[in-house]
Amino acid sequence: MVFTQLLINGLIAGAIYALVASGFSLIYATSKFIHFAHGVTIAFSSYILYFLFAVVGLNFGFSVIFAIIFASVLGLLMNLLVFKQLRKRKTSGVILLIASFALLILLESLILLLFGAEVKTVGYIKVAGGLEVLGAIITPLQIFIVISSFVLLGLLFLFMKKTKIGKAMRAVSDNKDVAEIVGISSEKIYNWAFIIGSAIAGIAGILVGLEQSLDPTMGTSLMIKGFTGAIIGGIGSVPGAILGSFLLGFVENFGIWFLPSGYKDAIAFVLLFIFLLFRSKGILGIKREVEK
Amino acid sequence: MIEAYLIHLLILIGIYLILAISLQLTIGYTGLLNLGHIAFFAIGAYTSALLALNGVPFLICFLLAGIFAMFFGFLLSVPTNKLKGDYLALATLAFTFVVYSITLNWTGLTRGPLGLPGIPKPSLFGLSFSSNFSFLILTLIVILVSYLIIRRLVGSPFGKVLEAIRDDELATKVLGKNTFKMKSYALATSAFFAGIAGSLYAHYITFIDPSSFTLLQLIPILVIVIVGGLASLKGTIVATFVLVLLPESLRFIGFPSSMVGPMRQIIYALILILILIYKPKGFYGKVELE
Repeated sequence: MVFTQLLINGLIAGAIYALVASGFSLIYATSKFIHFAHGVTIAFSSYILYFLFAVVGLNFGFSVIFAIIFASVLGLLMNLLVFKQLRKRKTSGVILLIASFALLILLESLILLLFGAEVKTVGYIKVAGGLEVLGAIITPLQIFIVISSFVLLGLLFLFMKKTKIGKAMRAVSDNKDVAEIVGISSEKIYNWAFIIGSAIAGIAGILVGLEQSLDPTMGTSLMIKGFTGAIIGGIGSVPGAILGSFLLGFVENFGIWFLPSGYKDAIAFVLLFIFLLFRSKGILGIKREVEK
Repeated sequence: MIEAYLIHLLILIGIYLILAISLQLTIGYTGLLNLGHIAFFAIGAYTSALLALNGVPFLICFLLAGIFAMFFGFLLSVPTNKLKGDYLALATLAFTFVVYSITLNWTGLTRGPLGLPGIPKPSLFGLSFSSNFSFLILTLIVILVSYLIIRRLVGSPFGKVLEAIRDDELATKVLGKNTFKMKSYALATSAFFAGIAGSLYAHYITFIDPSSFTLLQLIPILVIVIVGGLASLKGTIVATFVLVLLPESLRFIGFPSSMVGPMRQIIYALILILILIYKPKGFYGKVELE
């Protein structure tokens, strides 16, 4: 059945996009700018996994943990070395956006220099036959991707609701000044948002790296999907980002029923465009000053 | 040999200069963070190339490239007029990706990743510009005319309204100016010049493919505009020369050519970040981005 196959493909795509979008949204919610370089964190984590596991030959579990830590540290460093310096001068979100865009290009070129342009594969999981579910085919790895994505998103939700840092993050995202009055250091919270958001990006990078081959620009295209998901769901809201990502995954996969598959990225952008024009606060309708 | 290389560099500087001063019109003077400039460049290049390959004379290709890009600039401005700041950046970025996606996938028209080879060198009124030196002269003429038009525009009452929109859109509206219309005109004019720059590029290199019109190509132009300083044409000109020539020195230090590309991008990105942190107004800028 084409329909169930597309549904499953949409679900798998959505699961990956949701991880990208939730990390991105977490950073946006607290520090209020569009962190483009989030995409390259994902790409770097895939490449570190590839390097440690396939080139150096380390244990797989260790490689995964190291890749996630690397992603976290990379995110934190970007915040400390670039964004914190910019915030000291009270620059607007637009400047932070341009700086983040520059970081994206910088790190992407660095990957190109370090690893070369040719396509790489991690090769941990041998290509296995798919299982048949209602006439559609899904591989065990894909089931693993969907499950780990759901588990992580659940953990993130609990983290935001139950822990002290999670609550502080929501406070800062709601009203930074008031949060500071009650003794929450916003800079500290930004650091946490970058650490956690980038760790989720790292995990997304690993899952993508297991499923597909790696190329230096993979981060940019995943980033596009991530922020499209985040915006159509309601930017700055993690549940919104997840909702938007799954919607994007489905629309994209059903879209190629009618259009050549090369237009997949364009579909995402047309959807983004439509939302920016008609409902820029997203599905969940998070209020934010978008229009003058 | 060295002469040919210098001429090539000067032509590149010329094309970047047209792109940068036209982007200055939207980002610097009107305060619209337009990340769609490369898309207009692509539209111009493809329009001109496709027409020329079908035997249309250069002058018509060249003008239609600008007009077509201008049309799309106007089209983009209508829905994005209400957006501001980072949302406008995203919408224009989305436009860049959609155009890229179309050049890559509409193989019937653009031949997709294979690109369009054999674009004829321009000839005007029986004069052929097939040698690089004559092409340089053509480029210089186009730059001079574009520069004079843009300088005239930004100095005119229209330009002053654009600057007023950048500084305070609401106040400009209160004074009875139709800011939507003004912003549309600014974006369309800027797109026109990006389109003719695209036409020059296509006829100079004689081969175009989608990979010449990605986000990577946006970085140098954005860096030029910001390093030179917003709303400063003089700064833009100086920055274009410095920033196009700077990474060329990599070739002489002896880096292999496969490394020059990524190194160039790294240098541009680093300069952009450092400028934003330490000298946000650029070298000749009057205002800061907000």
